Amino acid sequence: MDELFPTELRTRLDQIGETDIVVGIPSYNNARTIGHVVSAVSVGLAKYFPNRRSVIVNSDGGSKDQTKEIVLKTEIRADDLLLVSHPVQVSHRISTPYHGLPGKGSAFRTIFAVAKQLKAKACVVVDSDLRSITPGWIELLAQPVLEYEYDYIAPYYHRHKYDGTITNGIIYPMTRTLYGKSVRQPIGGEFGFSGKLAARYLEKDVWDTDVARFGIDIWMTVTAIAEGFRVGQAYLGAKLHDAKDPGSDLTSMFRQVVGSFFSLMEGYDGVWKNVQACEAVPMFGFPFEVGVEPLTVNTDRMIHAAQQGVSDLREIYSSFLSPSTMTDLTNYVHRNGQGFHIPDQLWVRMIYEAAAAYHHRILDRDHLLQSLVPLYLGRTASFVLEVTESTAPQVEERIEQLCHVFEGEKSYLAQHWDTIGKEKFHAQPV
Amino acid sequence: MRSLFDRMFLDPFQRLADQSAHIVPVLVMVLVTLIVGGFVAFVLRWLTYRMLQLARFDHLVQRTGFASMIERTGVFRSPSDLGARFVQAVVWVLVALFALNATDTPASVEMVRRFVDYIPNVIAAGLVLLLGVVVSRMVSRSALLAAVNAQWPAARLIAGGVRVLVMTLAVVIALEQLHVGSLPLLVAFAIVFAGIVFAMALAFGLGARDMARQWLEAKVRSSVAEEEVFRHL
Repeated sequence: MDELFPTELRTRLDQIGETDIVVGIPSYNNARTIGHVVSAVSVGLAKYFPNRRSVIVNSDGGSKDQTKEIVLKTEIRADDLLLVSHPVQVSHRISTPYHGLPGKGSAFRTIFAVAKQLKAKACVVVDSDLRSITPGWIELLAQPVLEYEYDYIAPYYHRHKYDGTITNGIIYPMTRTLYGKSVRQPIGGEFGFSGKLAARYLEKDVWDTDVARFGIDIWMTVTAIAEGFRVGQAYLGAKLHDAKDPGSDLTSMFRQVVGSFFSLMEGYDGVWKNVQACEAVPMFGFPFEVGVEPLTVNTDRMIHAAQQGVSDLREIYSSFLSPSTMTDLTNYVHRNGQGFHIPDQLWVRMIYEAAAAYHHRILDRDHLLQSLVPLYLGRTASFVLEVTESTAPQVEERIEQLCHVFEGEKSYLAQHWDTIGKEKFHAQPV
Repeated sequence: MRSLFDRMFLDPFQRLADQSAHIVPVLVMVLVTLIVGGFVAFVLRWLTYRMLQLARFDHLVQRTGFASMIERTGVFRSPSDLGARFVQAVVWVLVALFALNATDTPASVEMVRRFVDYIPNVIAAGLVLLLGVVVSRMVSRSALLAAVNAQWPAARLIAGGVRVLVMTLAVVIALEQLHVGSLPLLVAFAIVFAGIVFAMALAFGLGARDMARQWLEAKVRSSVAEEEVFRHL
């Protein structure tokens, strides 16, 4: 763990000694937004945990702008913001570069290590590009850990019906199907967790994989659930970001998230194969209606991407999709306009067959994951066309239906994972 | 004193008999070597084929994509057949060398020596070609996926071009290893490649100036628009 702490950071941690709460903020060139996040976190700590010792850790990826300076110098006006008169513990602030591969996961690793070093009871991580964070988020993410002995608190947001399509189309349905916990935003980005779980994360040797990048969120969630830690959710309202995550192009993001999920399926196949049903996860916070930012989606571009993918990548798809799935895909994808549709069953079978192919290493894993991007865009376009006129609750109901299809087809996945997959792939030349 | 008859008629026959006595055993030995060697090569080919079948070699190769390439040649029935025939060919080469060496003439000994010295070059060239096939396949597939995900219309053409480029480099390096003149091939390739790039640049820059501008504008606009409005995670 020593390699994670530069001398300056080690000295600072020695001075601090121990703490109750660590709040981690990963960043890379977020000078525009991080001041607001630091203010919200500072106010949240002062207002909701006035008697707790706390440390705010900014784990930075080498920002070229003023990110570090803003973290250290942002002031909170106690009288105006806190509306409290009692004395509060002042939280320490640290801004440190992280060690390892550039990415959110490596930034989190440093935060875990700081939490362990300071013997923190609770740890919270929040993105540095948030525009909708309020002090209440800190309470909702940390309180269940500190007061109710939860180990992991995932966020629950209201989002636009077109937003978070990897979450809605793959990660949420698969997480609840495989691991039996209905965590609605498993890759939400903001989490609360216990010091015990942070120490457990640190023990894992995953920091040279996609977990060090965008795979960190799903890895944290699945690890917590699969290893039997106590999991809850916190209602945070709406999530509004800055316009763009630095370096977040779709292909690499998709590859890292879905690849990490498939990789976790290998590590925990003894767990997910024995899960029979899904159970609700306790929710903290008071749900309320919020407005969300309007989104526009270019479905024509996505449909074109899917059609081009099916034409140009036919050889690759034939290597890991069953003949019947391949036939259905070809038939559905080449319908244009409003007739374009990828049914739930076809989508679920494609994902399950891809997961089995990943497991059996039918082709290079990176290539497999990249080849799924056009299919994902096609499915997203299909979903958007389907819910154009739907209200938010109707869309949620639609996602629930998709989850049932994932759950209903779980035996299909298990078969491909264990035996049928191998035989089929051997009989199916690339 | 020997008679004229002896010198004119008997001596040549005597010399022919002496030479034959020297050559015939060698020829017989070469013949026997070839027959036995051919039989051994055939048996080894059969054994290799059976062993590869037992090891499910065809299935393994199918997963790499070489199987269809092998079958498309029309020469080999399957990857196992190719492997077996390769072993047979190697044994045949060894048998031929052995037979050639058995003649024990300065020319044949020199030929064998040169051939043996050349074997490392042949192996190196073969390995370079094999590596070229594997690398070109990987790189062209990466290019294909990147181009498809960037929604470039000529994705397959790009992937094919990348494959040809990598294989051409491999062939040039292999020819270098074999000490066969690779320079003309390299120069020809460079001329054709540069010509294609130059022609495309001219066609795109001059012939379709407006289209180029519109395309670039559309690319910039659409990528910015997408970043602003859509989140996947």
